[in-house]
Amino acid sequence: MSSVAVTAQTAGPHAAKAAVRRRTRRSGSATHRAGPVVYILLGIVLLISVFPLYFTLLLGSSDPVEISRNPVPQWLPDTSLFTQFATVIESTQINFWLALGNSLIIAIVVSASVVLFSTLAGYSFAKLRFRGRGPLLVFVIATMAVPTQLGVIPMYILMSDLGWIGKLQAVIVPALVAAFGVFWMTQYLAEALPYELIEAARVDGASMIRTFWSIALPAARPAAAMLGLFTFVQQWTNYFWPSIVLSSENPTLPLVVKSLQSNYFVDYSLVMGGVFLVTLPLLVIFAFVGKQLVAGIMQGAVKG
Amino acid sequence: MLSSTRPTRRTAARTLQATAGVAAVALALTACGAAEGSEGGSEEDGPITLKVATFNDFGYTEEMLAEYTEEHPNVTVEHVKAATTDDARSNMTTKLAAGGEGLADIEAIEVDWLPELMQYPDLFTDMADPELDGRWVDWKVQQATTPEGKVIGYGTDIGPEAICYRADLFEKAGLPTDRKEVAELLGGDSATWEDYFAAGREFVKESDVAWYDSAAGTFQGMVNQLPAAFEDPESGEPKDLGENTEVKGIYDEITASVDDELSAGLEQWGDDWVAGFQNDAFATMLCPAWMTGPIEQNSGGIEGWDIADVFPGGGGNWGGSFLTVPASGENAEAAKELAAWLTDPAQQTKAFESAGTFPSQLEAQDSEAVQSFTNPFFNDAPVGEIFSTRAQNIDGAPYKGANYFAIRDEVTNALNRVDITKSTDAEESWTEAVEKAAALG
Amino acid sequence: MAVLTPQRSAPGSGAPQRESRRLGFSQRLGRWDVKLSPYLYISPFFILFAITGLFPLGYTAFVSVHEWSLLGGQGDFIGLQNFADVLAHPTFWKSLVNTLSIFVFSSIPQVIIAITIAALLDQNLRSATFWRMGVLIPYVVAPVAVSLIFGRLFADQYGLINSVLNTIGLDSIAWHGDRIASHVAIATMVNYRWMGYNALIFLAAMQAVPRDLYEAAVIDGAGRVRQFFSITVPQIRATIIFVVITSTIGGLQIFDEVRLFDATGLGGPDRNWMTTVVFLYDTAWGNQHSLGRASAVAWLLFLLIVVIGLVNFLVTQRISSAGPTKKSKRKSNTGGNS
Repeated sequence: MSSVAVTAQTAGPHAAKAAVRRRTRRSGSATHRAGPVVYILLGIVLLISVFPLYFTLLLGSSDPVEISRNPVPQWLPDTSLFTQFATVIESTQINFWLALGNSLIIAIVVSASVVLFSTLAGYSFAKLRFRGRGPLLVFVIATMAVPTQLGVIPMYILMSDLGWIGKLQAVIVPALVAAFGVFWMTQYLAEALPYELIEAARVDGASMIRTFWSIALPAARPAAAMLGLFTFVQQWTNYFWPSIVLSSENPTLPLVVKSLQSNYFVDYSLVMGGVFLVTLPLLVIFAFVGKQLVAGIMQGAVKG
Repeated sequence: MLSSTRPTRRTAARTLQATAGVAAVALALTACGAAEGSEGGSEEDGPITLKVATFNDFGYTEEMLAEYTEEHPNVTVEHVKAATTDDARSNMTTKLAAGGEGLADIEAIEVDWLPELMQYPDLFTDMADPELDGRWVDWKVQQATTPEGKVIGYGTDIGPEAICYRADLFEKAGLPTDRKEVAELLGGDSATWEDYFAAGREFVKESDVAWYDSAAGTFQGMVNQLPAAFEDPESGEPKDLGENTEVKGIYDEITASVDDELSAGLEQWGDDWVAGFQNDAFATMLCPAWMTGPIEQNSGGIEGWDIADVFPGGGGNWGGSFLTVPASGENAEAAKELAAWLTDPAQQTKAFESAGTFPSQLEAQDSEAVQSFTNPFFNDAPVGEIFSTRAQNIDGAPYKGANYFAIRDEVTNALNRVDITKSTDAEESWTEAVEKAAALG
Repeated sequence: MAVLTPQRSAPGSGAPQRESRRLGFSQRLGRWDVKLSPYLYISPFFILFAITGLFPLGYTAFVSVHEWSLLGGQGDFIGLQNFADVLAHPTFWKSLVNTLSIFVFSSIPQVIIAITIAALLDQNLRSATFWRMGVLIPYVVAPVAVSLIFGRLFADQYGLINSVLNTIGLDSIAWHGDRIASHVAIATMVNYRWMGYNALIFLAAMQAVPRDLYEAAVIDGAGRVRQFFSITVPQIRATIIFVVITSTIGGLQIFDEVRLFDATGLGGPDRNWMTTVVFLYDTAWGNQHSLGRASAVAWLLFLLIVVIGLVNFLVTQRISSAGPTKKSKRKSNTGGNS
């Protein structure tokens, strides 16, 4: 620890870079491979976690009668699941592809924006000094305490004054920044980004924004990936607000799924088929972002 | 500043959309033209799109809506369906509260929302139309008519109640199974609630199964027969629940039957209730026309459901909906015309065939299609005929003012405390309801 | 300066350099750069928040001092009458107790479980992506699926848990009848949804802990558990504060789970599991239709959350700064730098 600081002070950025690499590298004699107990415990956690997704598959493969008769209608999913997929995609009532496109646009734009602005603000709060920093940060956190249910009516009035009802920006714009994200990046960078690195860059003559770009951003990468993932999932599954400002001509995926669920009796087989179909793109993204999450730290070190 | 709408916000909204507004007025004008001269279908009519927002299943099929466009080439109809009535209601009230922007041209509402909406008739277009006199059963029109005579919606379906029962469970308990005999068992044309509960007491002696599903469900059937259950129709003021002997009488009758284990103690629409259909939890249910759908779907694989053409205490209606035209809409006249068309006996008959929503239109009720309609799941019961008879037994709509549901929910909660959670005894629970009802307002 | 590690005297990037160098245009530019950049970086949040966050807040405050029904709109100015009405409403107090109780059943186990899972995931795992993403699945699956499953678990008469209990000869638990049991059931649903989420947040922080600290500890002969408490916990202190505060705020705003717990969604006939946010919702959209009173509830709840958040912060601060050795070491480091 202290060696990092010293090198940063005395030997300039190159030494600091090396120090970062050392500081953050994963492997090392201290972290030997995990033993079987760890895998067993994680296996239990994973079983519990994956269960609803698996259950969704099962229900999507069963017929409604079986579902209402047995707690667990069957133990293995089967191909009748694809019938539900086809029903959802081909239904004339719902525009699946439009909804998929809308959901993608909203989730991508919002996560990119939240990550960028949160990292900027988080870096500023965590590592820069300015007047009013403390109170402003407390203010950011306090905004999370406002119950969202009541914001609906004023927000709707606002959106309707702007003429945005039914348009994607009514969902996107209010979500472009998130107090949660700012707070998270602040706390993460406070721990993960050593002052020495910033100083080293500044000594080298880098401007503030350049320092942010080449030092803070790479260091923030794991947290940013996580924030991006969370935001993406949150937007992807968001139902209440889009259901009010959007309509079935211009829906998102959760609205589509919900519209499968009409009548007094819910055809859970169809709904669960829809739920799984809507979750599928997320799982693909998981695989991708997941790699980023694991690799994030190493990359951060290389770039830093 | 006391006003029934919110002028400041609405003006702001209007100014911001001034340009859009001009275009909208122009459209509305052409739409009016379209409405009046629709038979001729003049070529200058600008094309308009009318949005219809419903929930659950109103039986308005794509073909039906396409038919309207065929008759009115300048009108495209778009149908938006909310998943549940709750979703539809919070969606609609939020938009109404925010000034009306984004509402559909035609918004479907449930009868239970009326006490609230009727307080703000300005939010809706007056639908009164002498040409449509006599289309609906009288009380259906009454429900949506304000004291000043403004009609805020056209009736779609109603929920005349019969008794649905499990013939197989009746047989095991030694009761008759034929639907005519069951109707007689429950008192026939002069059936009373006493008869219904007495038959239940006979039944539970011979069976482990409960007689009915839920105390609250039964209560709402009984209380709907009181002309003015919780409020004084003259003043609209709530009656003192503590001195409301009519309601207390019903309450006592039901809680006594709970004590005698007639109730399965299930919350309607809850998980246990749904599972109860598969587990032979109860043998009868108050059964409005639309309830036949959920019973069938929850009872997959169960045989034995039937419907008796009888209802204790006379007729009873549970639920039913209306089509309204929000006043903020730009094509109100055209929307009104479409609503009139959708609630025409011809359309509602088709809706009944496709979704089982029992029509509120006299002519539709008498139609061959409805009269001859049978339901195979209910042992081929002639449901069209049964519910028509049931509908004829309803002699009016009970008065439901602004406080109706708030007070009713307190009594329902009291019943649920006795019936479902079994957390208090009947008297204590009633006292609590009286206190809470007094604290409302 | 609140949530950040306050005792660390932040050396700041600009301050020391400013004095030492030659003056010039670029230098002056640099000074402005240093002064303004922080504000520039936080400005997107505050600008957008002013529009999308402050307006609703102000609007709510305005509504709360008026007679205001959902559909009828603005009525007379009535000062603090709405607040008085709400405070006199027994159900409001009941909902507060419920909220706090459910919060205790959810937040505390949640943080402990999450940090444990994170510690497991922080090991050197084969196919780490798989494990890490797996725990996030409850957060991803649509609530309708999750509520369906929990509905089947916690149904009073035909639920899976009670069936199992009956099979092994135990009494059923009245999930919807007993107040505490209902709180436990709801807290379980909450914990289930958020544990993986919080675990990943902890994991990200754990991964940023310098590995040489562990190496040093191993040389000192510290075991796994010891390492966890004397290195990991103090090192991820800011993140622990973060998770505690966000799950406090979230825990005091529990809504969906209550709405889904029974068919009516208002906390049962006794309002035994009605949380304050559900009370708020019922006040505005339910039978009362009083947006004015609901706004008063919103502000009361807001203040309560801020107070509990502050208490929470102070306690967490105390606990985590009581962590051994590490703090003093850091302090001497930074001290040496500036």
